[in-house]
This record gives sequence, C-alpha cells and structure tokens, in this order.
Amino acid sequence: MIQTLLYGLTIGAILYFFAIGLSITFGTMQIINFAHAMIYALGVYFLITFMPMLQGSFPLATLFAIVAVIPVAYLIERFVIRRLYGESLDYAMIATYALLLIGTDVIKYIWGNTPQPISDPIGISFQIFGIENIPVYRAVIVLMAVAVFVGLRLFFTKSIVGKIVIAALEDTDGVRCLGLNVDKYFSMVFILGSALAVLGGILYAPIATAEPYMGHDILLIAFAVVIVGGMGNLTGTFVSAFLLGMVLAITGRYWSQAADTMVFVVMAAVLIFRRSDA
Amino acid sequence: MSYLTSHSAPSGISATKRITIYRDMVLIAAGFLALSPLLAMHRVTDFMIFCIFVMSFDLLYGYMGRLSFGQMLYLGTGVYVSTLFSLHFSPNPILSLMAGVVGGAIVAGILGLIVVGLDGASFALTNLAFNQVGFFLIGSAFQKVTHGEDGISAGVEPWGFLDFANEYVAFGFVLLCLLLTFYILRILTSSPYGIVIRSIKENESRVKFLGYNTFFYKWLTFVLAGAFAALAGTLYTLYVGFVSPVFIGPLNNVEVIFAALIGGAGNLFGALIGGVLFMAMKDSLSTHITQWEWVLGVLLLVIVFWLRGGVTGLIKTMYNYGKAKMAKRAAVEVEKG
Repeated sequence: MIQTLLYGLTIGAILYFFAIGLSITFGTMQIINFAHAMIYALGVYFLITFMPMLQGSFPLATLFAIVAVIPVAYLIERFVIRRLYGESLDYAMIATYALLLIGTDVIKYIWGNTPQPISDPIGISFQIFGIENIPVYRAVIVLMAVAVFVGLRLFFTKSIVGKIVIAALEDTDGVRCLGLNVDKYFSMVFILGSALAVLGGILYAPIATAEPYMGHDILLIAFAVVIVGGMGNLTGTFVSAFLLGMVLAITGRYWSQAADTMVFVVMAAVLIFRRSDA
Repeated sequence: MSYLTSHSAPSGISATKRITIYRDMVLIAAGFLALSPLLAMHRVTDFMIFCIFVMSFDLLYGYMGRLSFGQMLYLGTGVYVSTLFSLHFSPNPILSLMAGVVGGAIVAGILGLIVVGLDGASFALTNLAFNQVGFFLIGSAFQKVTHGEDGISAGVEPWGFLDFANEYVAFGFVLLCLLLTFYILRILTSSPYGIVIRSIKENESRVKFLGYNTFFYKWLTFVLAGAFAALAGTLYTLYVGFVSPVFIGPLNNVEVIFAALIGGAGNLFGALIGGVLFMAMKDSLSTHITQWEWVLGVLLLVIVFWLRGGVTGLIKTMYNYGKAKMAKRAAVEVEKG
C-alpha cells in the first residue's frame, strides 16, 4: 500500500510538472496547447542523445536537454501561438495539434519507433516501517515537485515578472494599457512552462520508457488535471495533480487498464458539480 | 449577421429552395458515380461512409461552432451496437442499422447533458475524455463481449436484395444514406432551428436574451450529430463486416476535424469535398510513405494560417474575384462603346 501511495505521489508530481505549463498557457493566452506533449517527448529524446556525451551524467544531461528545448519552445510560441493569440480557440487547438503530429513524426524519424529504457539514475532504495523497498529516486521527484510549487509561488508573488503575469491573467488589456509589453512576459512564462514539462518528462522516463507517443499518453490526463484544478489556477493545478495521481495509482493497483478511465470519471463528476453552483 | 439576410423568412422551406436541394442531391449522386470508375467502387463506398461522418461533425462544429475532439465515440457506438445487435438479436441489416443509430443517439443524449453546458476548450477536451472512456470500455472492460483488440465479425445476413457482399448494392445503399443525410441536414440547417444554432455560434448570450433555451438547442444538435455519426458507424458494420476498437480510437478524431476544415466548415458541400479529399489523400499517402501524419500536420497549419475557408472557401473567393473582374471589364466596354 505504501508503494501504491508513493507511486501516486510520483505520478502526481509528474502530472504537476506537465500541467503547470498547460495551465499557464491557458490562463494567460486562452490557448490549449497540444504541442506541450511534443515538447515533453522531445526533451526526453534530447536527454537520450546527450547522456553518452556527458559520461552518463543524468543531472547534467537534464540541464542540457532543458536548454536545448528552449529555442524550440520559443519558435512555437513566436510563430504559431502568438499569431493565433486572441483569435478563435479552435484554430489554436488545431494548429498546436498539427505541431504535435509533425513533432511526433520527426521524433520517429530521428530516434526511431522502438521504446528506449532509461535506467534509474540513483538506484538506491530505502525502507519505511521496515516493510517495503522504496526507491530514493521517487522520493526525490516528489520533493522536487513541492520545491517547484513553492518556487513558482514565490516567483508569481514576489518577482516583478510574476506579478505582471498574474495581473495579465486577470486583465490582459489593463496591463497592456500600463505600457507593458505583455507578449514578452507571456513568452517567458510559456518557455518556463515548457522547461517544466521537459523536466517532468525526463524525471518520468526512468520509471516508464521513452517512446514517441509518451506525450500523447500524459496529455489527456494532464488536461483532466487542468480542468479539475481550474484553468489558470496555479494552486488548483497543484492539488488536482496529486489528487488525480492518487486516483491513477489506486485504480491501477486493482485494475491497471481502468486507471485512465477513472481519472475521466472524476473529471466528469467535478464538471457536473461545478456547473451546478455556477 | 449575414444569416439574417441570406436566408428567407423562417416559415418552412419554399418551393424554389426545395428544387435547389434536389438539384444539389442529383449533383452529389452524379459526382460519386463519376468517381467510382476513377477509383474502385468499393473505395468510393468507403469514402461516402466517411463523408456522412464528416457531415455529422460539421453540424456540430461548422454550424454550431462547437469543436469536439470526441466524435469518434459516436461512430464507434454505432459500429459496436449494430454489430452486437446483429450477433445477439437479429441478423437483419435494417434493424441492425436502426439499433446502431438509436444507440448512438441515446449515448449522445446522456453525455450531451454533461458536455453541452461547457464551451470552448472544456467542451473539446471533455468529449475527448469520454471518447477515451468508450475506447477503454470497448477495448478492455467488455473484452468478453467485444473480443477487445482482436475485433469481432458482425452477424449481418443478406435481407431480400440487400446483400452487402454485392458491391453495387452496397454502393447504392450507402449513396442513398448519404443523400438522405444531406437532405435532412440541409433542411434542418436552413430551418428556424438552423438559424438558432448558427446564431449560437456567433453569440450565445444574445440568443439567450431573445428567449431561446440555448441549452436545449445545443443538446438537440449534439444528439443529431451523434445519431448521424452512428449511422456512418453502422454502415461500416454492414459494409466491412468486421469491427475492431480502431473505429472508436480517440486519436482518429483528427481525421474528421481535418476533413471538415479542408473542405470548409459550416457548409455541407465542404464536408463532402473534404471527406473525399481526405480519404483520397490518406489512401495515396499511406501506400507511398509509412509515416504520413506530418503531412496532415503541415496541411492543417496551412489551413489555419492561410486557408480558413477550406477548398469551398477558396472556390468562392476565386468565383467572386472572377465575377468582379468580369463586371469591371463589362463596365469598361460600356464606357468605350
């Protein structure tokens, strides 16, 4: 059972890393970004490429992979998302989905179709209550998610960039009237969100395997996280990520194929109840 | 608010309007008949089934402005309900067809109550989520009944002259269904109901202010779209005879979205042209290159950035441009003369 709980926390942490970018993009630009799944998978493949070059150092390769993804994220933001910003939501969804299709095929073309395993970078387990072996790596992931949550909170409440973004979440035109270049700040948080997604993908890769469709799998669940947590609500995203991570882990323990479905059932329930009080 | 001027008074369908609809139906039938010697007849039958599906999606997206990423669910419901009906109740093709359509409408009616109140992204994604749930139910949960990934053969048997093993009969029957769908949707979308749903696309709160129960109209449209998608699904059952969870796969939703967009959304002719173009493209690309989804991606980007009206929009623009040019030339000649 402890194993299951820890697994839920780990999945929750990964979901948080992934969903935060989606949530920010939706909150600031009202755009649902399917290309996020492409960025997520791309980061993992960059890691696979960089690992041998860096004598197998996982943290260094992670850093390089994140840096390598930044220009890609910038290009997507600058040439696709910003051009569709403020326009119909449908076109933005379709365009980012198109990017996901293209990106997935590019990944397949460069790195091939076969899943590639990545070994646990820490590889030590510890025992709690003397019962089960718990990999240190998973505990580290959960701690990192909490650290990122606290870091983002500080960023959005203390730093000037974060404050501008929060203000723009409330009223974009109002902030623009103050003479601030909102687009620049949106671009920055978009890149931040993409970097976090890459971090999530890389941290998850040793638990699962790297394959071209890994982004597709998490994308739907992450959308459920964003819907349950409230679009653009950063604390809500954090809470719902761990909640749904737990739902995944507990359902998966008893009936692994039903895990995804259970998440959507929870989402539907939340949607129904939320509408009734609106 | 162009629909107020372009559509005559909302008091039934006028005689001239009806004549244009019949003319369009003859044109469509002629078009598909002309296609069948070019491609093979069985492929054109396939194309037509897909076109029915695209029209059902277009009612929801093109006319009412609600983008769903989960329309495959209703196609799949039609496929599986008709298959299971034919195996367990009656091998009659018409009864199986009706069972499939009713099944699709019931599922859409129940889920519609949940999703129709949502808009924009939530609507699209919740539909996708339900599609995923349906895929799971068919593919894993009810494996004993559906045989999961292995697929299942339908038990439809010939009924009178209605034998789907006969290429000509299948072609004729599917064409008939397509024309019927076109006729019903054409009448509906130019009726007062059609004007209300198009107004919902433009501005829902204003329609509400006018006293319309927009929730009901949206729900009705959702059910209709589900029923027609299920019709396409049942035709797959009757025609292909072997079904698998591919028919309900959530990742295939992009195909119908693409088809509706490339033809031109909000236009039944656009849906037909888009359906044919997409299927032709899929056929030719997948035989030449194994990974062809990126082509779809690139074309989608082209549509979104430069070709919002799709092919029908392009034709319309060219036609108007040509007409303006002709008028100009005529004016110049009059001046000269």
